[in-house]
Amino acid sequence: MKKFVRQTAVTAGVVSMLTLAACGDEATETEESDDSGEDTAEETEDDDDEEDDGDDDDEEGTEVDEDEEVDVDDVDEDEVVSLDDFDQVREADESEVLEDGSLTAAIVSDSPFEGTLNWNFYHGTHDAQILSWFDEALLSWGDDFVYNQEGAATYEVSDDNLTYTFEIHEDVNWHDGEPVTAEDWEFAYEVIADPEYTGVRFGEDIMNVEGVMEYHEGEADEISGIEVIDDKTLEITFIEANPSIVTGGIWSYPLAKHIFEDMPVDEIESSSEVREEPIGFGPYVVEDIVPGESIQMSRNEDYWRGTPALEEATLQVVGPNVVANSLESGDVDYVESFPADQVVDTMDAENLEFLGVTDRAYTYIGFKLGEWDAEAGENVMNEDAKMADPALRQAMGKALDDEAVGENFYDGLRWDGTTLIPPSHPEFHNDEIEGHGYDPEEANALLDEAGYEDVTGDGFREDPDGDELVITFASMEGGDTAEPIAQYYMQAWEEVGLNVELLDGRLHEFNAFYDMVEEDDEDIDIYQGAWTVGIDVDPDSLYGRTSPANYSRYVSEENDELIERGLSDEAFDVEYREEVYNEWQEYMVEQTPVYPTVYRADIDAMNERVVNTAIGDGTGVYRYEIGVTEEEPVTN
Amino acid sequence: MWKFIVRRIIIMFPQLVLLSMIVFILAQLMPGDVTSSLAMDPNVSPEQQEQIREDLGLNEPWHTQYLNWVGSVVQGDFGHSFTHSVPVSDLIWHRMVNSIWLGVAALIFVYMLALPLGLISGRWNDTIADRLITGYTYIGFAAPLFIFALVMLFIFGFQLGWFPTGGSVDPGLTGWDFFTSKVYHLLLPALSLALIGTVTTVQYLRSEVIETKQKEFISTARAKGVPEPKVYTNHIFRNSLLPIAAVFGYEVTTLIGGSIFVEQIFSYPGMGQLFLESIQVRDFPVVTAIVMLFGVAAILGALLSDIIMSIVDPRIRIK
Repeated sequence: MKKFVRQTAVTAGVVSMLTLAACGDEATETEESDDSGEDTAEETEDDDDEEDDGDDDDEEGTEVDEDEEVDVDDVDEDEVVSLDDFDQVREADESEVLEDGSLTAAIVSDSPFEGTLNWNFYHGTHDAQILSWFDEALLSWGDDFVYNQEGAATYEVSDDNLTYTFEIHEDVNWHDGEPVTAEDWEFAYEVIADPEYTGVRFGEDIMNVEGVMEYHEGEADEISGIEVIDDKTLEITFIEANPSIVTGGIWSYPLAKHIFEDMPVDEIESSSEVREEPIGFGPYVVEDIVPGESIQMSRNEDYWRGTPALEEATLQVVGPNVVANSLESGDVDYVESFPADQVVDTMDAENLEFLGVTDRAYTYIGFKLGEWDAEAGENVMNEDAKMADPALRQAMGKALDDEAVGENFYDGLRWDGTTLIPPSHPEFHNDEIEGHGYDPEEANALLDEAGYEDVTGDGFREDPDGDELVITFASMEGGDTAEPIAQYYMQAWEEVGLNVELLDGRLHEFNAFYDMVEEDDEDIDIYQGAWTVGIDVDPDSLYGRTSPANYSRYVSEENDELIERGLSDEAFDVEYREEVYNEWQEYMVEQTPVYPTVYRADIDAMNERVVNTAIGDGTGVYRYEIGVTEEEPVTN
Repeated sequence: MWKFIVRRIIIMFPQLVLLSMIVFILAQLMPGDVTSSLAMDPNVSPEQQEQIREDLGLNEPWHTQYLNWVGSVVQGDFGHSFTHSVPVSDLIWHRMVNSIWLGVAALIFVYMLALPLGLISGRWNDTIADRLITGYTYIGFAAPLFIFALVMLFIFGFQLGWFPTGGSVDPGLTGWDFFTSKVYHLLLPALSLALIGTVTTVQYLRSEVIETKQKEFISTARAKGVPEPKVYTNHIFRNSLLPIAAVFGYEVTTLIGGSIFVEQIFSYPGMGQLFLESIQVRDFPVVTAIVMLFGVAAILGALLSDIIMSIVDPRIRIK
């Protein structure tokens, strides 16, 4: 009996471990949730890496775990940097670059990479980082995120903007020597549209191709909108023409038909041709993979752009807590999306160089204004919502000193966010809009005017009906800064007389937080979230009437109209589109359904021997050019 | 003896069933599911997420999911990891091998350290050597493993550069080179684990030796004129090992369970890391399989301990 009791105790021990995790108990999970925070942050930041190779993330935004990698102890007024201190490109003369150099790049992660090494199937962002070394998209784009003619394929558009004709470069060959053909490209569409497809790419862009739905539902044997004209020429016809097609709306990752043709579609993703001996047509060829840990690659002599500068490249997973040390000691040479909280501390190292760019992301305060009507498939505003008065929302924005938050908590690597199109999209971001700025007096005046006055004399304003006004604020835990920032926000609001309380008196774990926000939990009046935006600026997926991700649930006819105009035929004219989105940005500042708090920087760090690389889009520097100037990493 | 083992294994089954049900219910209670992490991906629309949820059967009530799961487990299929796109059993097997490597290395170090230290400090108790050794054990008790491992990594990995700072093996190696690289990567994490993990055993051994040497049969042995070294090796040592042998079975559990802290710090892809990661991304098939595995290991470990006890201590067998 005793033994039975003891075994049960052991069992109970294991179970209670899980219970703790399940409940997201703060005491035991602090560290874990930090990890998840960082992972997520990387996940979103990694989208940038994908871009270099032409990922097609477009319209949709990304939930960002409020990661907050910054250690509050590091906060030091003197050590504030600005994105202006960082270059975007690091170039060197070709003669300086070694011909037989090798380099070690870090994949910053707490956990092993997933290992689904094919663009058509991957969903982990670390996999994307690896893929960008040995495979690439056929189309590339410039800093305006519009496909250009610099990629492995060039394209022409028909007059009605519906039919695109692609010409794959003659010299583009798979690593095994087979040419990359139009059939490979068609095959990628066919696999993604296959009902048995196991990946996550079957979305609206794919469905916008003529005949895809019929193929998906088994009514057609081929996709009618895709036509292989000859080995290197492909024609794709879309159902609906809109300017988003050329900003990521085309799936341009071919799938090697000669390898995967005979494989059942649902088995491709776990096949050894994806996981162990992946194939691509990028600058490097995979030689060896230690699953989850590291990848060794060698130069692809047959690369279509020219000879890659490095003879060998190694990618390895490095934990975020040791990545700075690994860089300084020369164990790794190159780190994409270096943890932002460690930048200032690491910048003093003489052997390191940093590149920076504005991240396609922003943090924001959202105001709950209604709910998602699942049956109707649209957002419905509630006129009696606590936050329904735009003046109240504007005042809450004006009460916050975002610039100070960026300097104090993020060493200047985050800064005041003004509009809902971040400056990562320079064409569309309107820097003349100042947002709400920091102006507590104005905030007070707005509130007074709107009738929010302190009737009871307790120091807090009541609502216009004279009833007590308590605003509930939901925010995510994670990292050391989540708590102090939330506290700062509440203090700042208190200073303009608003009584804001944390939901349940505490921060919430990432999954739990988004569960509540998605379900329009009645207790939430305002929340702090973050989005990574796609390369296409169309805001429909984040703020549209029918978008479930429009968490504030704000809808208005003017908003619908602006969004629609941004995708209309006239919007093929970039100037017109800019105008529409300027109007939209202004309108959103006026209405403030959400209030952008800070924009953020994305930083790459590297040993000083690493040259010819760039961060961000449209720099004209490609992965094959990255090289080293010394045999060994420079150490201090 | 056999009866006893069989009985224990029979008791195991209801325990496992109970365990698996609890795990399933808890998994349902956790906020979010595996598709939550897809909300991160700008390419995946909410409709696609819903489709995936439907395909994975996540919309079914827990008991339906549970029965489906039991059905396939009985056929040896633990499901498919959504995050890693591979069968759960392959994934766990791969990580478990790493954890076993690390566990075995750590265990070897633990006993390499514990046996001499415990015996010395027990035999010559209250000498300077003993004080030094007990001093070390107190520090070992007090130092949290995750701090200690970080310090080890910083000093020996980064400052002195003697050991690799992450991973389980260098890429591109085969045969003997692969093996040595693997061992080389193991040394530092295993040592970190062992230096902290050994202190309990040292203390056990020390107090057992001290206690045993005052027992009457030892006095008898001495009175019979058994030489002092022989008294220790033949009489005291064997008897002092009893409690250590008793916990040995449980060590097996830690072997496959891995160490969350050390694996995390040294970026070593083992079971502990997989468990943590799977909970975070809500990869339930992996979580359930691992918990079941831990459960089985714990129960078997307890059984193994009892068997070892009955071998080293005949009195138990007779009972």
